[in-house]
Amino acid sequence: MAIRRLLIANRGEIALRIIRACRELRIDTVAVYSDADAAAPHVRAADAAVRVGPAPAPESYLNITAIIDAARQSNADAVHPGYGFLSERAAFAEACREAGLVFVGPPAAAIEAMGSKIGARRLMERAGVPVVPGRTPADQADAGIAAAARAIGFPVLIKASAGGGGKGMRVARDERALAEAVPAARREAQAAFGDGTLYVERLVDRPRHVEVQVFADAHGNAVHLFERDCSIQRRHQKVIEESPSPALTPALRAQMGDAAVAAARACGYINAGTIEFLLEGRGDDARFYFLEMNTRLQVEHPVTELVTGTDLVRAQLHVAAGGALPWRQEALEQRGHAIECRVYAEDPASGFLPQAGRLLLYREPTAPGVRIDSGVEEGGDVPVQYDPMLAKLIACGETRDAARQRAAAALRRFPILGVRTNVRFLINVLEHPDFAAARLDTSFIDEHFEDLIKTREAPEFVRAFARRNPGPVNRPATAGHPAVADPWTVLRGWGRW
Amino acid sequence: MDRAARVGAMVSDDRGSIRTGVTHEAADVTAAAPGEFVIRHGDTITRIYAAASEGRLWVFVDGDVFEISDESDEQRRRPHRTHGSLSSPMPATVISVNVAPGDAVAAGQTLIVLEAMKMELPVRAPGDGRVRAVHCKAGDLVQPDLSLIEFE
Repeated sequence: MAIRRLLIANRGEIALRIIRACRELRIDTVAVYSDADAAAPHVRAADAAVRVGPAPAPESYLNITAIIDAARQSNADAVHPGYGFLSERAAFAEACREAGLVFVGPPAAAIEAMGSKIGARRLMERAGVPVVPGRTPADQADAGIAAAARAIGFPVLIKASAGGGGKGMRVARDERALAEAVPAARREAQAAFGDGTLYVERLVDRPRHVEVQVFADAHGNAVHLFERDCSIQRRHQKVIEESPSPALTPALRAQMGDAAVAAARACGYINAGTIEFLLEGRGDDARFYFLEMNTRLQVEHPVTELVTGTDLVRAQLHVAAGGALPWRQEALEQRGHAIECRVYAEDPASGFLPQAGRLLLYREPTAPGVRIDSGVEEGGDVPVQYDPMLAKLIACGETRDAARQRAAAALRRFPILGVRTNVRFLINVLEHPDFAAARLDTSFIDEHFEDLIKTREAPEFVRAFARRNPGPVNRPATAGHPAVADPWTVLRGWGRW
Repeated sequence: MDRAARVGAMVSDDRGSIRTGVTHEAADVTAAAPGEFVIRHGDTITRIYAAASEGRLWVFVDGDVFEISDESDEQRRRPHRTHGSLSSPMPATVISVNVAPGDAVAAGQTLIVLEAMKMELPVRAPGDGRVRAVHCKAGDLVQPDLSLIEFE
């Protein structure tokens, strides 16, 4: 059954990314929005838009009833959940099916199977995929979590049983740290996923985070699209991702690809998914452990698209409509190298504190081999209610070094003013000698933090410029007309070029 | 006509000359687009982006963002009129400054002449008084809300 009109149950850059794929396929798009996003770019980009509730996510983007109603009301025949929000809720996939809507994602049963960390581990063990020691304690009280941590052995990782994305995740190296970590993790898990159930796992020290993109159809075909190395993380959230992983030997790559396809088959998976692994050690002797499966499209999917020459969203829509996978395993190859940098509204020097406010100036660079997926625009507000990611800058090149230098050069021409961002921080990571030499593990940012937050003094000509121009140089667009004709306002009125 | 070319034509008059504090070397500033400036300073050419809000100037240069607050310029940033100071209604170039601190001025007298969008704009004294301070000079590129002149 061909998809004719797609409702996108998400916001920001991913909603726009999906809309772009739909335009190519001539599929109508329906956006949903909360009150905080009434003027957001994804609302204007879609062919139709439906309000689903007030600003807090639980009342809007996480409100299954409101979203199904929006799909009915707009006469949509399919729903794409994007990532985050409802994308990994089996109940949502099921609600779509019951409403006669095609869910662009895996069957509810596969989400359920991989969403439960206990179930997923058992399934993986049976499928012959190695796993890290850990469990979801039956006794979810503080004492029960502590008992589980002792049994597994410190250091442990406490995380939300219901979701990924690093939300609700805490490291505890001893009992005392655990007593603090548990209530905080539970609150975060409850807030992010509506489910405070916690999972306790052995912390594999200094691992690399390497994940494999998988794709399966309803006709029994399953392939992998190689790996992404996501070792550069802060607070267990990814910041920079790349493909290929500099850590993999061809033999290891083949083993991990096979394990990932076996994992997808074991849970009856259909559509795009990602198997996350922790990688310990080096060379052919490195060991990998199944961490979890993300039963959705990933934030970092463009990295895979750039090295394999595919469009994963287009393939998702094709497979969801009942089509066969567009690629055979032998036809897929990795060419060159791609690196993604997540541009966040945050202050790295203040512990990566999220920032909100108005983007007084926002200009995306264009350059050969550079792709930017973003969900914001100049003059728009970064709301406090949602994830502070503004854009993803993805650079590709013939070699890792070429991609790395391209990414840094593009970030140097990516002015964002009015809200603090991590642009300088990202450049510092890309140009750090250890990153350049691919000496990476998940503690990279913690270890080099002082080097990475370095900024330079304002050059003299900037201070001179400031002395002469302390007033509004580029006044943000306002709703009312300025009292006096302002040439800058007139220029802005011509649109954003 | 191409949009970028038209923008270039519109802003070509908003060209100011700034002097750096240390070297007193002239630096030339050209507005390339709203908020985007090209600074020629000696033999170096630098493209910068700037925006201001709530007394804070943000400047982007080559991947770095500098936030410059007006603390050092507090004296100059008094609200206009209420404290006997005048400011430009829009970004403009100062054509001439006709008075000096200490001068007695009469109501309606032209104190400063600004130019914006090829139009001259006289800044006149709102009442009789004496000039206390002048914060601009001919050739300056001035911005709204910045005190140009104070009088008592």
